[in-house]
Amino acid sequence: MQVHKQILLVVLMYAFTSWSALAQHEQHQPTDSTEDSQTRAEPTAERQSDNEPPLPTGMSLDDVLDYAAGPPPSHYPDPVADDELRFFTLIEQLEYRLPDGGGAGELGWEAQGWVGFDYNRFVWKSEGEVAFDGDSQGESSTDLLYSRLVTPFWSIQAGAQYANEWESGDYEDRWSGVLALQGLAPGMIEMDSSLYISEDADVTAAVEAEYNLRITQRLVLQPRAELGFAFQDIPDRALGAGLTDANLDLRLRYEIEREFAPYVGVRYGLLAGETASIAESAGVDTESVSLIFGVRLAF
Amino acid sequence: MTDSTRFHSEHWTRRRFLGTGGCAALTAYGMLHPGLRTALAASPLGAPNALDATAPGGIDLFIERQSIAIGGRRPEAITINGGVPGPLIRMQEGREALIRVHNRLDESTSIHWHGILLPFTMDGVPGVSFEGIGPGTTFTYRYQVRQNGTYWYHSHSGLQEQLGHYGQLIIDPADDDPVGYDIEHSIVLSDWTDMDPHVVMDKLKTMEGYFNYQRPTLANLETQAEASGESIADVIKKRLSWQRMRMDPTDIADVTGATYKFLMNGKTSEENWTAIAKPGQRVRLRIANASALTYYDFRVEGLPMTVVQADGQNIEPVETDELRIAVAETYDVIVTLPDDRPRTIFAEAMDRSGFARGTIAPQSGLQAAIPERRRRPMLTMADMGMMHAVMGNESAETGSTNHGDHKATAGMEDAGSEHTKRAGSAGPLPTSGLPERIKHGPDTHGPGAIVMGKTRYRQLSDPGSGLGDDGRRVLTYSQLRCLETPPDRRAPTRQFDLHLTGNMHKYIWGFDGKKWSESEMIRFQYGERLRINMINDTMMNHPIHLHGMWMDLYAGDNYAKNPRKHTVNVQPAELLTVDITADAPGQWAFHCHVLYHMKMGMFRTVAVVRSLDEEATHAGS
Repeated sequence: MQVHKQILLVVLMYAFTSWSALAQHEQHQPTDSTEDSQTRAEPTAERQSDNEPPLPTGMSLDDVLDYAAGPPPSHYPDPVADDELRFFTLIEQLEYRLPDGGGAGELGWEAQGWVGFDYNRFVWKSEGEVAFDGDSQGESSTDLLYSRLVTPFWSIQAGAQYANEWESGDYEDRWSGVLALQGLAPGMIEMDSSLYISEDADVTAAVEAEYNLRITQRLVLQPRAELGFAFQDIPDRALGAGLTDANLDLRLRYEIEREFAPYVGVRYGLLAGETASIAESAGVDTESVSLIFGVRLAF
Repeated sequence: MTDSTRFHSEHWTRRRFLGTGGCAALTAYGMLHPGLRTALAASPLGAPNALDATAPGGIDLFIERQSIAIGGRRPEAITINGGVPGPLIRMQEGREALIRVHNRLDESTSIHWHGILLPFTMDGVPGVSFEGIGPGTTFTYRYQVRQNGTYWYHSHSGLQEQLGHYGQLIIDPADDDPVGYDIEHSIVLSDWTDMDPHVVMDKLKTMEGYFNYQRPTLANLETQAEASGESIADVIKKRLSWQRMRMDPTDIADVTGATYKFLMNGKTSEENWTAIAKPGQRVRLRIANASALTYYDFRVEGLPMTVVQADGQNIEPVETDELRIAVAETYDVIVTLPDDRPRTIFAEAMDRSGFARGTIAPQSGLQAAIPERRRRPMLTMADMGMMHAVMGNESAETGSTNHGDHKATAGMEDAGSEHTKRAGSAGPLPTSGLPERIKHGPDTHGPGAIVMGKTRYRQLSDPGSGLGDDGRRVLTYSQLRCLETPPDRRAPTRQFDLHLTGNMHKYIWGFDGKKWSESEMIRFQYGERLRINMINDTMMNHPIHLHGMWMDLYAGDNYAKNPRKHTVNVQPAELLTVDITADAPGQWAFHCHVLYHMKMGMFRTVAVVRSLDEEATHAGS
């Protein structure tokens, strides 16, 4: 019964809209301008030849030309919304790192995302690792940046980094200013280089480069290098001037979807130069190899 | 097309012959096709449910979201009168069209009459011609029909086109139809995705190559070597050089068969839409590409086609085996079944990631073999405008030396070739012997544009990547010749360069490096003849559509015979010239018809104004 009522209603509404539209049209007709007053059923080809401009009802050529010279009425929408706010998150690494020589595994991540427009964006980057063994131990850093696309492939970024590390209740953190250059280098190499000036005026830099080698349409081998530099000795952070450390990674992912790709990989990490010497004297390994199991996610 | 002679009674009994201009051509055509006269009795058998918008009382269109059957699923589409595509609309040239569009969506909508000459307020572009049709409201379109031929209509709101908001529009001529045919069928090609088009847009914006599953890989190294006849080492070398330039030679279509279903009259290949025709009948296929993004390579397998109309404009008949139909173009072709065997109507997506298929047969339920899909094409250095590659293809270097300037608009000021700039007191511009190639200037158009090679060149005889190398004849723009010279063929007196630009990496699209929101209106002076030199700086094809006015495509040196088009395809690194009579006052849209390119800024508002001396107006204000 309910359904019948609804159908009846729809039919009535349809009849009404058609009738009112028709009625409107008929009322409209007598007031049409001379440009457009033909009865529809009659052929009117002779009234408007090719050299007569097409004009809206009720507007003269001068009216239209005046109108055309100005902006459209302010209540009109944009014909194309080409400057919409968007956001994107890519968790490039979310993985378990298992040291080759035994020892505690670590949960590691590296992610970044942006919110904004084509040329101007807010970009965040986060990376870190947490040890799985006994005591809580780990480190992380988060960069918060304004990013501007300055050439087709490169963005300049500026902002702040918050970094922390903790070990058995011992917590240290610091803020740094960041200047970064991120983009795609010739050879399809994705690059991200950042310069940091810490609150203690220590200057460090990080350079990351990665490449995606497609084996099949979904199987991708990704070599990746990450280098750290210090521009002076930083005893508090056990860093010596020069190249401080490097991570050389190789990940093989399978893109079940572009947004969801499990992977396996291997990481070779090393401490270098003065930094390595500092580590050695403290009895810390300067080289490590880890097996990696993880998933790459995007949304 | 329209002439001023009185006619009477019903259209199929009218017997006026065409005016003086077309007489010779028509006579020649009549000799070629003795069946010309019988065509006048043709009825639209292929479309029994057509709505006649010029009949007394007009027609009603209802725009509604509903589930419809597409490829075995029932996704939600935006339907017009319950279908995708919407109903075939017919009009009679010389009468008044009356269409009431009832918006039953919960969002604004619109209908744009693609290629139709009408008052700008009837053009249906929200933000340019009107406000749009609000949810639950009705908008009445009324305009004089001043032309005839095959056209189409579609939404100009948001991404609604991708959701099925389109249909075909056929205008029957007031005079005798110079095209002889016994029966006609309308073919609307389109692309469908079950993904929300806004999600498609997001993926394109955030993950480059998201839909491309035909990229160069280690696994297909050998296949490529075999296909190109090169050694593996050469293939690797070539690939590395593409990588050095940060370009992907397989980036032919942004959205592919990975998500698209390719449709012919709303049906997938499996559903096999069938055109019924008797052997010996001259069948007129009216083809419109209503895709959001997909270019189709169209053929009736094993049968020659005679192309008789392009973009609704009659052309001198050309026989061919295959044609590439860009997004938003229409072509009319005549085919004849030689016997009672069915033939496959095959429309391959340009990137070969899928195809639409139908059948032409004496009765329904028949089908012929589906042809093998061809190998996906790869872009070449010439598509990037690399000089050495272009030089290899052409020898007519001297074509451009008359115009020592590096710009297509020889004689104009230098720098960014802003469209607002005018040639001082330029006399009539040349109508033949235009430069064959030009060099890109120093302006790289900013971060929104990746400009690779420097050379842009005419490609009128180039069928496009992936075509023309398998023995089939392929239609090219150089073969398009209008049947009857249109009234205004004055030489233009003003010109400007328009660079088609994009950043594929960031999915930013525009003209001269700017998106619509960053741009000013392009202004035409009412009554002028002007020339636009389109210069494609990108590696993709762009179907450029001007609303409200024709573009006379420079297709060779016979100026009187250049075809009129509403949509011109500009190939990668192509230099393509159109001349325009600015005879339609008002504000109009001018844009790339790849929906996602348009949406991302490859769009301009054109203002046809009294004088170019007035202040320029910002399009977005």
